Amino acid sequence: MNNMSIPPKAKVNRNQALLFYLTLTAGIATGLIVYSSATTIVTLLRTATTALFIPLLVSLVLTFLLEPPVTFLERKTGRRTLSIFIVYTLLGLLIYLFMIWMIPNSKAAWQSLQADLPRYLGRLTEYFKELVDKLHNEFPVVATYDLPARGRAMAEQVLGGILISTPKSALGIGGILLIVPLFTFFFLRDGSRIVRTCLSFIPNRTFEMVHDMTYLIIMQLSYFVRGRIIEAAIIGCVVYAGLSLTDIRYAFFLAVFAAITNLIPYIGPLIGMVPGVLIALIDLGFGGQFWWIVITYFIIAQVIVDNFILIPILISRFSNLHPLWVITSIIIGGKLFGVIGMIIGVPIVSIIKITFTEIRHYRRTFSLIETTLEAEQS
Amino acid sequence: MNPLWSTSFFRSKKEEESLAYFLSQVPIFSDLGKRDCGQLESLVHCRSYRQNETIFEEGDPGSGMYIIRSGRVQVFTRMSDGSEMELARLDEGDFFGETTLTAPANRTASVRAVEPTELLGLFRADVVEMVKKQPPVACKILMGVTRIISERLQIAGKELMEFRQEKARAAAEDEAS
Repeated sequence: MNNMSIPPKAKVNRNQALLFYLTLTAGIATGLIVYSSATTIVTLLRTATTALFIPLLVSLVLTFLLEPPVTFLERKTGRRTLSIFIVYTLLGLLIYLFMIWMIPNSKAAWQSLQADLPRYLGRLTEYFKELVDKLHNEFPVVATYDLPARGRAMAEQVLGGILISTPKSALGIGGILLIVPLFTFFFLRDGSRIVRTCLSFIPNRTFEMVHDMTYLIIMQLSYFVRGRIIEAAIIGCVVYAGLSLTDIRYAFFLAVFAAITNLIPYIGPLIGMVPGVLIALIDLGFGGQFWWIVITYFIIAQVIVDNFILIPILISRFSNLHPLWVITSIIIGGKLFGVIGMIIGVPIVSIIKITFTEIRHYRRTFSLIETTLEAEQS
Repeated sequence: MNPLWSTSFFRSKKEEESLAYFLSQVPIFSDLGKRDCGQLESLVHCRSYRQNETIFEEGDPGSGMYIIRSGRVQVFTRMSDGSEMELARLDEGDFFGETTLTAPANRTASVRAVEPTELLGLFRADVVEMVKKQPPVACKILMGVTRIISERLQIAGKELMEFRQEKARAAAEDEAS
């Protein structure tokens, strides 16, 4: 019986082996092709996503921000589209008023900044030279490294990069200004319909759980995004108020910079205070005003307002990231999308963390019994 | 049909087939007006199930209720020996799972489609959204759910009382004999 069953078994094995080797060869060949053209695919993907990714992300952030006023108006008017139009009109009016106030001020500030920038850079170079000289005196070995030349080369490289990417960024900003309001409008109007359509593809057995979790994740995300933006805006206002009490110039730009960099946890606030402290050091020197500016940036804005008041109220404990993740996400974001990537890297990692935390929390709350479909069995 | 005649008395067939009309016929939503039913239509999820397909199992996380649009389902529980005990068979227009609509809880029984079935799912997350956006409509939906749950609770209470009385009577008879 056993002897009789061996030949057909061996035949099947040979066929299987042939199939296995063919699949393996095809797999290796495909792998080689993909590997050789990987750079092209990655570049293509990056180009395609950069064009759409940033406007989509900005639109989503704006949708989360505008959702509460739109919902409030919808409750009053009973019509969502009308509510969105009202919010858009009010927002447009606000932006218009802001521009009217902003443009004359910023023009003068920009012109003076153009004149001041070489002076600031000159002073910075002097400080750097003094530092290098001190180093030479203290540690003669340092002289062999030719630090000034290296520093100059690095600065030229960074400045060159910025100059090259500026026209690209300007084009990108133009596109964003056009696409973002449209995307935001449709996200606000049809957001729940889009989510429902996506959910309709979920299999019956897991539909209910996925539906519930999607809602929880969206809720957490909206709290996180709103919290971060409101936090950054308040920090900007506090820094502006603090700087306005001194004679420092460009207080408004410095406050905007501090607000934007505040979106990056841990490192952001430090980067945000660098230009303000440098300008204060060069223009005002080591005096009472300089120390007031440092106190404004560090103690008032970061320690008192941000850490003691804003973070406990606005930011959920879910979204707190470990410093190691913050640094990794900034590096990866920077490598993928440049400066914008550095800003959005941390929020994106936070979003992923929120998603995972919600899934884990949900699974703990309800220990889902794994059941198979009777229909699949039959 | 002439639009002049297409009133509630001369309702067109198309309207009767619409989801909003179907929802207005479900007892739980009897307080809702025509416009409210239109709002509710945008809340519910249409799901199709094959014959013998499980809708949910006892112990699954529950987050809402289902209304049977077409087909038939079997509500059952699993005994300790693994056998199934049928609790009810529900038809078109019936609904189940309403106890988990307002509070998260695990399912207390299993439900399976006994023939190809189309269900309308109404879930807590959507009702919460509705509370934020359209409080009057959400209030009517929740009032309907509360009414049905109260009615069922009263029936369950009565049955429990009868069961206890019967048990006490049986115990008394045992003692007497």
